[in-house]
Amino acid sequence: MRCTFCEKEAVLRLRHANLRLCPEHLVARVEKEAEKAIREFRMFTPEEKILVAVSGGKDSLGLWQILTKLGYQADGLYIHLGIEGYSQRSLEFCQEFARERGLRLEVVRLVDELGAGLDEIAKVLRGEPCAHCGAIKRYLMNRSALEGGYAALATGHNLDDEAATLLGNVLQWNLEYLARQYPVLPEGRKLARKVKPLIYVSEREMVAYCLISGIRYIYEECPHSVGARSLFLKGILNELEDRAPSTKITFLRAFLRSHHIFPRPKEEEVHDCPLCGMPTSAQGPCRFCRIRERMKHYAPA
Amino acid sequence: MVEMDGGYTLPGMVTLRRREKIFSVPEGKNLERILRDLGILPETVIVVQNGKIVPLDYRPKDGEEFELIDVISGG
Repeated sequence: MRCTFCEKEAVLRLRHANLRLCPEHLVARVEKEAEKAIREFRMFTPEEKILVAVSGGKDSLGLWQILTKLGYQADGLYIHLGIEGYSQRSLEFCQEFARERGLRLEVVRLVDELGAGLDEIAKVLRGEPCAHCGAIKRYLMNRSALEGGYAALATGHNLDDEAATLLGNVLQWNLEYLARQYPVLPEGRKLARKVKPLIYVSEREMVAYCLISGIRYIYEECPHSVGARSLFLKGILNELEDRAPSTKITFLRAFLRSHHIFPRPKEEEVHDCPLCGMPTSAQGPCRFCRIRERMKHYAPA
Repeated sequence: MVEMDGGYTLPGMVTLRRREKIFSVPEGKNLERILRDLGILPETVIVVQNGKIVPLDYRPKDGEEFELIDVISGG
């Protein structure tokens, strides 16, 4: 199998793009697709400083590599969630990545912020850890981006992530979530701009990109993700993609083209949290501060 | 095809490792066909040998070993 662009042996066939790519052209394509999304959605400019939220996985570390290769000023942020047997290992991948490339990595530890890791927080507050994890990470990522003076916070959401989220939102016909699902969420008062430069890059391309580029990442999944709905939705989309290549990209692109038809979410009445000063739509303290207050009364066994 | 828990290879067989699972399959088919026979969608894994990506149209030979890297992540 020859590369579509040169005489070299292709290692990956991308049926959705009708391409067969050698390692060099696969790397070039991934970087080009990311750059295309950055420009198309005016995510940020080379003059602006970007904070990349890294988890130690292929997408976020791959994104950090892409942004630095494209000449953007990108620092990393790792949130240590204190998940037993997982967080420390994933941190080590991020540290190794940053050290080898001379990049700056900020590490925020949940145990310093809330007095406990996610496993304990979920026990105390009850409910699924993922429900608390999302809110906690959003708060800490936003705070780090604002305090660090970054123009935008970049996350490694890829084509498969976005298509699965879209499918989930469509199945529930959740107009509010559909209106909020977009590659750029603009900055607001005390809210950092959030961007997703990998929306046109598939998970498969990202794995290949990391392997070819020598990026070591954590293969294991977060132990709390077992049985997650998003994984189930990705499975369905992969079945569809297998029968009809380009289903995922067509689904996402058509949505983005039609995004304006979804009613803009109502401007929520936002207050400043009386405890930390960050914006919140809740009356009284923000969710993060409420968790912190609850955890103050928790004494580890 | 044989799902094995040991580390040996039978003659005329090809070995594929996916995390802790080891599959031993007869040579003669290309990787895409092998994956489909194992019930694995080819789009959901990358096949690697000695750290290098192997194209799915490759036809493995007797005794060759491959690693399957899962593509899907998230939660």
